[in-house]
Amino acid sequence: MDSKVDRSPLAEGLKRKILFISGKGGVGKTCVSLALARALSENHAKKKILWVTFEDPATPLGVLKQTRDNLWELNCESSVAFEEYIELKLGIPALAKVFTQNKLMKYLAKAAPGIHELVLLGKVWYERSHYDHVIVDMPSTGYGLAMFQSTRNFSQLFQGGPLHNDAEDMLKSFKNPSECAQIIISLPEEMPLQESLELDQFLLKLFPKNPPFFLVNRVFPHLAADDPERMEQLGTPPTWMSPIPKDGEDYAFRRSILEKHNLRLLSDANISWSELEFIAPDAERTQESIVHGITHEILQRGYLR
Amino acid sequence: MKKSTTGSELWIDQILLNRKIIITSGTGGVGKTTVSAALAVRAALLGKRAIVVTIDPAKRLATSLGLSGLGNDPMDLTERLDDLLMGLPAGLRNGLSHPIDHRSSQGRLYALMPDAQETFERFVGSLSSHPSITKRVIENPIFQIFSKEFSGANEYMALQRLLALHKTGDYDCIILDTPPSRNALAFLEAPQLLARFFDEKLIRWLVLPANKIVAIGMKKALGLLEKLTGAAFMTHLFEFASALFDIRLKFSGALNQVTELLKSQDVGFLMVSNPSPDTLSDIFHFLDNLKGHGFHFEGIIFNRTHFSPWKTSSETLQDFETPAQRHAHKILEALSARQRKAIQLLSVALRERKLQTQGVTLPELSRDVHQLSDLLVIAQAWTWPKNLENL
Repeated sequence: MDSKVDRSPLAEGLKRKILFISGKGGVGKTCVSLALARALSENHAKKKILWVTFEDPATPLGVLKQTRDNLWELNCESSVAFEEYIELKLGIPALAKVFTQNKLMKYLAKAAPGIHELVLLGKVWYERSHYDHVIVDMPSTGYGLAMFQSTRNFSQLFQGGPLHNDAEDMLKSFKNPSECAQIIISLPEEMPLQESLELDQFLLKLFPKNPPFFLVNRVFPHLAADDPERMEQLGTPPTWMSPIPKDGEDYAFRRSILEKHNLRLLSDANISWSELEFIAPDAERTQESIVHGITHEILQRGYLR
Repeated sequence: MKKSTTGSELWIDQILLNRKIIITSGTGGVGKTTVSAALAVRAALLGKRAIVVTIDPAKRLATSLGLSGLGNDPMDLTERLDDLLMGLPAGLRNGLSHPIDHRSSQGRLYALMPDAQETFERFVGSLSSHPSITKRVIENPIFQIFSKEFSGANEYMALQRLLALHKTGDYDCIILDTPPSRNALAFLEAPQLLARFFDEKLIRWLVLPANKIVAIGMKKALGLLEKLTGAAFMTHLFEFASALFDIRLKFSGALNQVTELLKSQDVGFLMVSNPSPDTLSDIFHFLDNLKGHGFHFEGIIFNRTHFSPWKTSSETLQDFETPAQRHAHKILEALSARQRKAIQLLSVALRERKLQTQGVTLPELSRDVHQLSDLLVIAQAWTWPKNLENL
């Protein structure tokens, strides 16, 4: 790992215009990104904030919804975005229709891998001029990476066409540390941390001058700090005989040891990170209660300062 | 499903014993890969020649399965499994909910991590009539991008590899861990997406001169495409299409074989999920889609079930010595409540749908899986939540 990568504190990244929130599936990207959008809207009443997610089957596709005076939420859908984009490029709606309604083009747009990703990311990039902040809830790691990769691939594939220029302009924006921030959400668990380090390396290769920020979500209360003797006795997680805890208390105690143990993966790589604590979810309205809790915590911890 | 001869009453054992292929699905982060590996271990203990096929395991899990090195071939773990069984401490054994006392001697354990690109190239090679066609497809820049990490290609290759493994007859329990995706259904949609890619009528438009009426509209659309993407891309596209045209019939044949296999009695689908009400809509969406495809849904594995808080609510908060303890307790309380709610909602919804769906749970672990011995422990720790027992 390159120890020379210069990383600023999270608060620096959160000042930028486009925030890409990425990470492994299940780490809480949707909740954290929504909370960031809300915290930004609360902190800056005069700024227009857009939160974008991609093809969430739980809400209507392609729909932009205003949820506060200065906050909009978009469930970006690729076929809608594709038609919008073609119309924008060809200039004449009738001509765009000839293109997008053509059976072969419909088929190519749907079947060609990467087009989908390119168009979704293009939509985000296009919307940036209408808002002060765009917070993007990226798809899970593999697929999220493909989104940036596809932009580069198509830029190469479409040499000489206007799509090439757009892809290049998009990449220029994403590279620029005064315009975009990549925020990697992780959990203090081994697999998500490993995967976030891989994501970090990949993003650094694509955008070397714009190193990602790390935000570790759901940090469990550090019980072991209150009982160093017992912690000593238990030893490090790899030495434990069984991976299955005895009961709730045993689980909670061991978990707090494990998390500190896991987070060494980041410190060993010379990466500094910010944390969000584990929020006890409300059984009835899980997402809403968590977003509410994280919004409060982001403001409390001064991440928007 | 017929009863097994081993006398095991555990539902998951019936599936492992009776299905030749088990496909695990679920959204990212639910621990699907670990569950799949543990299923293969259990199948091997039950006497099956079991193999877990996984696309992108976490490093540590890959290491524990002997998959850390590159390679597109199955890794034999049987000997290591036997060594571990011999050395399993009694203290550990006693804590297991469903131990297997005597491992059947026929059982074998393999693991495989297919290399999508290599599999794809091999696959194209096997379809094309001439090496020059293979070369033309593989060297085309559109193909190169296509076969890399894009959604669909991985899924498709996993299915091809599955078919090839099944045909060898070397394995009688193949566990396929589907690639991670936001939605558990992406995997099922991949074959159709590819089928569309190979739709003869559509490729024909790119390769052969069409009739006049179609040709005018098509010419216009292709002209616009060229305007947007540049001339070089169009050349590659025509080339790619004509190469696809050459292999299309064999490709559709292979695709049909996969689809037929997935529908057969040999194959069962398991949903891996976390015990939260948020995941229920996923489960039902998945269920309905499986039914639509004519695939067999076996049941649900609730992974990472939470532990109950260690103090009852009648004990007061003063009993806790530190704020951290209080906070941890509150979290476990909330997680357990959410879990109960999920299971309750699930049983009601299943009853409404008149579904006899079964499932098992695996507890949240105190650390990540580090070695094969951990998988051995997990493979014997399945339980079923009491509330659903009477379904």
